[in-house]
Amino acid sequence: MPVLRAERTPLDPRGRRWALAAAAACLLPLLPQLPPALALGCVGAGLLVVLASRRRPLPAWIRVLLALCLVGMVLSMSRFSLGRDTACALLAAMLAIKPGELASLRDARSLVGFGLFAPFSTFLLDQGPLSLALGLAGVVVALAALAQLAEHESGDAAPLAPRTRLATVGRLLLIGLPLALAGFWLFPRLGTPLWGVPERALARPGLSDEMAPGEWLDMMNDDRPALRVSFSGPPPEQSQMYWRGPVLMDYDGRTWTRARRLEGLPVPATTRVDSPWQYEMVLEPTDRRTVVALELPEAAPAGARLTWDYTLESRLPMNSVTRWRMDAAPPRSFETQLFPFVRDAALVLPAGFNPRTVALARQWRRELGPSADAAIVERAMAMIRAEFGYTLATPLPGRHSADEFLFEWKQGFCEHFSSAFVILMRAAGIPSRVVTGYAGGYRNPFGGYWIVRNQDAHAWAEVWLEGRGWVRVDPTAAVAPERIYDTIDDRANAGGFGALPGVAPMLDVGDWLRRGWNDLVLGFDATRQMAMLRPLGLGGSGTRGLVALFAICAGLALAWMLWLTARAERSADAVLAAWRRLGARYARIGLARAPHEPALQWARRVAAARPGGSETLLSLTARFEAWRYAPRSASADPRQLVHDLRRHRPQ
Amino acid sequence: MLRELRRRLDARFDAWTRRRTPALLPVRFDRHRIYVLPTRFGLFFGALLLVMGAGALNYNNNPALLLCLLLAGAGIASLLQAQQQLGGLEIHAIGAEPVPAGAPLQLRVHARAPTGRERRGLRVECAGHAATLSLDDGTGEADLALATTTRGWLDPGRLRISTTRPLGLARAWGYAWADAPLLVYPAPEPAGPPLPTGEGEHAQSRLTPSGDDVHHLRDWRRGDSLRAVAWKASARRDALLVREFEQPLGADIVLDWQALHALRHEDRIRRLARWVDDAERESRRYRLRLPGQSVLGPGHGAAHRHACLRALALLPREGHASAAG
Repeated sequence: MPVLRAERTPLDPRGRRWALAAAAACLLPLLPQLPPALALGCVGAGLLVVLASRRRPLPAWIRVLLALCLVGMVLSMSRFSLGRDTACALLAAMLAIKPGELASLRDARSLVGFGLFAPFSTFLLDQGPLSLALGLAGVVVALAALAQLAEHESGDAAPLAPRTRLATVGRLLLIGLPLALAGFWLFPRLGTPLWGVPERALARPGLSDEMAPGEWLDMMNDDRPALRVSFSGPPPEQSQMYWRGPVLMDYDGRTWTRARRLEGLPVPATTRVDSPWQYEMVLEPTDRRTVVALELPEAAPAGARLTWDYTLESRLPMNSVTRWRMDAAPPRSFETQLFPFVRDAALVLPAGFNPRTVALARQWRRELGPSADAAIVERAMAMIRAEFGYTLATPLPGRHSADEFLFEWKQGFCEHFSSAFVILMRAAGIPSRVVTGYAGGYRNPFGGYWIVRNQDAHAWAEVWLEGRGWVRVDPTAAVAPERIYDTIDDRANAGGFGALPGVAPMLDVGDWLRRGWNDLVLGFDATRQMAMLRPLGLGGSGTRGLVALFAICAGLALAWMLWLTARAERSADAVLAAWRRLGARYARIGLARAPHEPALQWARRVAAARPGGSETLLSLTARFEAWRYAPRSASADPRQLVHDLRRHRPQ
Repeated sequence: MLRELRRRLDARFDAWTRRRTPALLPVRFDRHRIYVLPTRFGLFFGALLLVMGAGALNYNNNPALLLCLLLAGAGIASLLQAQQQLGGLEIHAIGAEPVPAGAPLQLRVHARAPTGRERRGLRVECAGHAATLSLDDGTGEADLALATTTRGWLDPGRLRISTTRPLGLARAWGYAWADAPLLVYPAPEPAGPPLPTGEGEHAQSRLTPSGDDVHHLRDWRRGDSLRAVAWKASARRDALLVREFEQPLGADIVLDWQALHALRHEDRIRRLARWVDDAERESRRYRLRLPGQSVLGPGHGAAHRHACLRALALLPREGHASAAG
């Protein structure tokens, strides 16, 4: 048999199946992260390619054509902007058509190698439990495929059942685990990234810099957590839990947007009530920079800054779980001196929209007098409290959305309430703005922390009153406080999955586990790494201490791995091991068994050399031979034999 | 140029390993004799992990980093396992039956190892040929077909025993050298004149129970075949008679180097080799007379044949042989 290089070793059907399975398993976690049409396209193209190339690799021109098609599809879906998600989609597409050139061992290996990038890029997009589980499964199958390919290459491929092969790979992973963990906890992390994270081309659903009434329905039905909070002191009342997000100032008749042109303004002065709330908050990744914070944050935490409207902006887009420690206290006064142009911006209404609302506001102003801002607010709230209801089932708004809401439907959710309220206020000449964020929260009895979910997304209003500055007004809460502050009980009462007995505690425990995972794994970074060193007394030594610790732990882990690899194979057969140790005891007194000597012959030789007391050895040897060479019955239990072999000493 | 560099590196490495390794069998692979290096695919895999690791660290993406580290851990574990598969392996014999030049030489490599560890699919490579060595119950052997071109001693050179299992990321290997050179007989002439007839001095004929010419009849003895019984004659004599035939066997054949002076040096050798084989086939006694050596034989049988062919195989080449010619 001449020596063959891997590129010329043809692939056997079994290896091909394994390589394809590995590619599929690696692609799987990425698919839910892609737009559904694209995911379907990738799956379809992949299946087609696999079927078409069953006999021989696809011709190059077909592969090029397919690749061009998929690339075009990806680019047109992302509207020709290149982002992190576009790159991942391209990877998925390429992985789907790569099996078209699967002819040799090397092709199969490069397919598996590139396949491993798929779980990796999945984690750049999403770090949820499903992605993690699927990613891990993909890795295991990929390694199993590599094992199969290596065995095929060696020319002695045992037809192992897939389960056995996966178990072998699982063992390899376990043996490598200590080293991996040492690297994970102790390898020095980067405090600041060396290069920027490419943004997504298509935004992740969530709080954004704009709001149009009726658009939040998806979010209001999404019960995934947005943030988890633990208070180190007493927590605020639930009705005080307003998590401030983007402040929307500009209105074009349909959509509220942030006033980016005011970005450069200084942070306004505030005075606070005493006894601030201290809390630590873990934010799920949003890919945006706005950090929602309990109203009102006292100061910007490290890595973020306060802006002119008291929203917090993170220095980097939040692509993974982030952790923030902050103080908050409700304001006594909040920007009592308003810049004229800010005041103007907070009064602007586009002409030609919502005539009835504007007329109502002017009528109130005429009735209540020019300095009766607070009374107008009160009047509006009284009207809403008296006549309005809360519902998520709203029709699509027309041109005069505030008019329709205030005079016709009289039902809606926070977007409608806040938007119409602010339009009403502005028409009455009161500076006002929409604030988006989250409201309320659910206290998880396991772990005693608070969960705020996407469905807790909320929009409320701020009006500027003489002497007090910006004052929070929540018209929605006036109508349906229970819908705003406590969503979980609400959901349980409304029936469905959460209402089943025993499910709610299970969900609580699930979220508690998830939070632990966030704490220990997802949220681990350079800061926490350094914090971890402090109890060890290495806090001062910085990176050098870390590297030393890493080196020590990696060395220990390697030694552990060596021991495990050697040991795991030795302990395969307890009877054989015990028999060998018995042989070693005789070898010490010069009666070693020659390699070619049958066991019983050796025992007779020993018996001849040491007459008397060797009957035990003879009978043990006979039992050993019977156990090893005679056909074994299923019920035979070798434990007694192992025990006797271990107990025996040369006499 | 790269190829040249690689060749020189290989040569340097070869010299380095050979110096450290006594060429005596059995060779036992311990830690110092096993080399482990990543394969080409292993390098690719490593580069892939480096890219992943750099990306994960930069974005502080912990699941990605964990994935990368898990893969790295499994890779290193596979490297250790590859090394462990060779550890303790003992090559205790390397040998081959001599074959005529041109026929493949079946090199047989015998290995044994303590049982308990799986050692399958080990690759044995020698002079551009490869075979698979799998150990069952502690012993195993591999057959390598080496190409032979010229008669004489064949040094198979360095034997490499390697494995890339379990993942194909790293190759662990060790070297063994055959402790004795292997003999290649001269290739016999494909077609040529028949054996020379006996030279008369020892001319003889043998009586055999089969043949063409009936020589005489004799009394039946125990062990004679029934087919040899001459029934008609027996009926006449009232006793069993048996036919005996005469086989005209020539004398012991003398295969004489000097008698073939018309041929070229190598052709003489090839013809003599052929005659040795012919004589063996006809089970005739023969002797071989070579220049500068005592006469071999007379005799026949495997040992005699081996002695003759060995002598022929080891005759000096033409350039050195002119004095003897």
